[in-house]
Amino acid sequence: MSRRLSVVFFALSLAALVLMVFAIRQASTPGWKDYQRTFLQLEAQGEPNAAAKAEVLDTPLAIHQVMLPGLQRVDRCTTCHLGVDDPTMKNAPEPFRYHQGLGPHASTRFGCTICHGGQGLATTVKDAHGNVPFWPNPLLPADYVRASCGRCHKEGNIPGVPELTEGRHLFETEGCHGCHKLDGVGGSIGPDLSEEGASERSPQWLENHFLNPAQVSPGSAMPNFHFTRQQARDLTYYMLSLTNQQMGTYYSSFNQIPSAGYGRQLFVQKDCIVCHAVGGVGGKTGPDLLGVTKRHSLEWLDEQLVNPQNVYPGSSMPEFDLDTNARKALVAFLNSATSDDAKAILSGNGHALNPEDAAIAAGSLDFGRFGCAGCHGANLQGGVPNPNAQGEEVPSLLHLSSDYSRDDVVEIIRNGRTPPLDNAKGPTPPLYMPAWKNMLSNEDIQQIVAFLWSKQQKTSDSW
Amino acid sequence: MNRRSFLGWGAAGFAALCSSVAVSFGAVLRYLVPDVFYEPPQTFKVGKPADFAYGPPTFLADEKIYVFRDREKGFSVASAVCTHLGCTVNHFQSDDRFHCPCHGSIFAANGAVVHGPAPKPLPWFEVTLARDGQLSVDKDKVVPSTYHLMV
Amino acid sequence: MNFFRDIWNSIVRRDSLSTDKGKSELVFLNVWLHIHPAKVKKEHLRFRHTFYLGFITFFLFIILVTTGIALMCYYRPYPSQAYQDMKDLQCVVFLGPFIRGMHRWAAHLMVICVFLHMCRVFFTGSYKKPRQFNWVIGVLLLLLTLGLPFTGYLLPWDQLAYWAITVGTNIGSYAPLVGGQLRELLLGGHTVGQAALIRFYVLHVAVLPGLVGLLTIVHFWRVRKDGGLSRPLWKLEPKPVEELVTIGAPAEPAALRVSSAAQSKTYGLMEVVTGKPIFETVSPDEEEDTVFAYPYAFLRESIALMGTVVGLMVISILFHAPLEELANPAKTPNPAKAPWYFLGLQELVSHSALFGGVVAPALMVLALLAVPYIDRNPSRRLRERKWALWLFSAFVVANLVLIIIGTFFRGPGWAFIPPWVHVVAGAE
Repeated sequence: MSRRLSVVFFALSLAALVLMVFAIRQASTPGWKDYQRTFLQLEAQGEPNAAAKAEVLDTPLAIHQVMLPGLQRVDRCTTCHLGVDDPTMKNAPEPFRYHQGLGPHASTRFGCTICHGGQGLATTVKDAHGNVPFWPNPLLPADYVRASCGRCHKEGNIPGVPELTEGRHLFETEGCHGCHKLDGVGGSIGPDLSEEGASERSPQWLENHFLNPAQVSPGSAMPNFHFTRQQARDLTYYMLSLTNQQMGTYYSSFNQIPSAGYGRQLFVQKDCIVCHAVGGVGGKTGPDLLGVTKRHSLEWLDEQLVNPQNVYPGSSMPEFDLDTNARKALVAFLNSATSDDAKAILSGNGHALNPEDAAIAAGSLDFGRFGCAGCHGANLQGGVPNPNAQGEEVPSLLHLSSDYSRDDVVEIIRNGRTPPLDNAKGPTPPLYMPAWKNMLSNEDIQQIVAFLWSKQQKTSDSW
Repeated sequence: MNRRSFLGWGAAGFAALCSSVAVSFGAVLRYLVPDVFYEPPQTFKVGKPADFAYGPPTFLADEKIYVFRDREKGFSVASAVCTHLGCTVNHFQSDDRFHCPCHGSIFAANGAVVHGPAPKPLPWFEVTLARDGQLSVDKDKVVPSTYHLMV
Repeated sequence: MNFFRDIWNSIVRRDSLSTDKGKSELVFLNVWLHIHPAKVKKEHLRFRHTFYLGFITFFLFIILVTTGIALMCYYRPYPSQAYQDMKDLQCVVFLGPFIRGMHRWAAHLMVICVFLHMCRVFFTGSYKKPRQFNWVIGVLLLLLTLGLPFTGYLLPWDQLAYWAITVGTNIGSYAPLVGGQLRELLLGGHTVGQAALIRFYVLHVAVLPGLVGLLTIVHFWRVRKDGGLSRPLWKLEPKPVEELVTIGAPAEPAALRVSSAAQSKTYGLMEVVTGKPIFETVSPDEEEDTVFAYPYAFLRESIALMGTVVGLMVISILFHAPLEELANPAKTPNPAKAPWYFLGLQELVSHSALFGGVVAPALMVLALLAVPYIDRNPSRRLRERKWALWLFSAFVVANLVLIIIGTFFRGPGWAFIPPWVHVVAGAE
């Protein structure tokens, strides 16, 4: 009896020893070590002599990580993707290949996951690429990686990513704000989209949803906008860029890329043409700016924009409160500006609006921007299905003036309204008019009403 | 016989128990050695050569190094950590020496101890030109004060 | 070498283990082992008497303290750090997943073992006089054992943690008058946040383990002072034998008479007083039925210990401790469930907040605490305690059924969905 117990004790103790050794072995042979050894072999091939080869092969294996407090992440991707910033690895096989075309986005400053998605903290292929349970953001498919540019560059054109500009534009003009909140502005019929790009919904899901909402989420109140494939993709890009993440100052300073286009926009905004001519076209108070970037260094130009008095004491040029990127953008524009640009800018200016027209124009903009167009249609035609509301659809706004006064409409916009039911016992219609008084100023509302009244059609067959 | 083998198996079991405890202890020690460090790495890039001026050294506070750029000799990098008890030394342009604020150690421009309790000269680190054109400093590689990188 | 022998002898003072005196001294001259009697009854060593559940529970506690200290070296109790630290343990710390697994699974196992230990003590009637108070301490230890994994559950700061604690603390808030304040006191706020995390951390790593340690010492002490382990049911005498009272060596009640098996045993008898003994007595002819704790008890305990360790290691190697996505106060998983040992309560709460969240658990705890004082039937024989056995069995089965329903049969919206029915998630 006792002997048997001793044997059991021995066997269990031995089992504990074996299991411990097994666990240690398992922990000491992670997959990334194999990748690093392969990479060192690859690097050693390029070395001229045996001593250099041996030195390369002797490099200790270690987890590499890029700490990015400004982006609130730590990326360990370079533990295996060892050649991302090594141009000699241009033709190396993955995962060692050099990342071309990064421009200023060096992996040491940006990491990988801010653009590519995936799980930066993980160190196995499967976990790091993020297609695992409980990781909401797996690697973005290659087609959608460029959407991530919009995570920092939230405004203006992004060279090479027309989808984002177009997506943003569609969002503003198609009336998405009517149902969806974005950074605190918008209706609450649909979900808040401020963090849509950080949600677990895949790009394919989003794209299909834009093409046919009812197909991917049955029962959704979202109308089918009959977007084209390209438009659905543009909107998907825009959605993927919305993460609502706090960026460090360095990253957020690139909200707008200092491109020539942005510079031109600023040139117009700040009315530079009033004092300065380009190639003889424009104001004569200041010097002609044609070729100014060839005559002065970048530092000189930058200083001139910050504090003109420093460069030319007594200069009549005002100080414009421009940030670094705005100044860079202006210089970029001036680098390419010609008299043709000046002509185009001058001709765009100076068509005066009377106050009523200005109000209608602003109202038209707000009608799209705040999302009225989403349900009532860009041309006020209405017609979005709304089951069990009177008429089964969102009403057209083209004949408002025959039933309501302008003050009535202001009230409806301010306080919202639930549509009268078709069948009193039926379900509540999914769409309703939200109250806008907390999101729109009285002035905004007046402008929208002015716009609506400018579009009213006389009913020919009044009854 | 029965009793002997009972004790024998028991002793063997005890030995196995002790070795698994020893192995576990070693494993826990290894567990306590971190595989990643949330601190500035020992090898790091400090920027392009053009970013550094000639004349007085550039102090990099996060990395605790002084980067010297000399017209004739090129780049060299000195540690800014006093060899006495680890305070950060200041470079004074007036006498071209490093002064430690804690216990008054003074180091010459080449790092040698001039005065005070510091037991060793300030170490110099290897600086190389990385493939992307940036200067790369390796704090793990100490070089003589005569080491320079000409770009 | 006299030098080294002197050092050895200064540490180990016992005689050689081949002598009976040595075997006795090994136990009572050693601070760690003296919790045992030098000689134990053979009947107490039988596996089917205690299943070593108390011992295994205690050993799981030791494993939890050890692995817990190891985990503390990498863990920072701050919402923005905590989850990343868990990911680091998972991804880059050598043996991190293994040690975390040991901690997690040992915690679950400890809850189970404490519960089973309580069942064993009840069914053998071991809570009866003179052991009533030790049962009360045991119930307190059970409550602390539930509190430990509950507070630990929050620390990873993932969705599982966040919502389990949100639901768990809300169950507590149904208590009348003090419920709301109690929850705020525990959370240091109105919702689970930074303040709650640091409070749960303090409770988890300092307060609760400290209390468990203290009460465990009392629990063990009382086991000895109440006359050692209770007799197995199959050894119960038909009628009590003569009474004999000693003070000074109560653990060996029959040892005043010199034992032939341990001639060298000596006792310092302080005084003989009159009175009733607090422990069970042993008839003289049974006294031969004892063996030395070394090696017989120690060998069996070592087997229980190593069996536990090996089992835990296998589980930890095979299954990683769960870690879900980062806690998101804006997104409630459906269904949000409390830790499994509280799912019985959650199931009750889903039917009636007042009854399920307050009356039932309060009654359960009070009834458990009062068991030895309500059940005044002195007999330990199963046959003579039908009522007690039926009631307790009903309590155990009810708890199990509720927990099983809550764990496996509750789907989105707390709807009754058997585990074999697949629910398509994600319809919003």
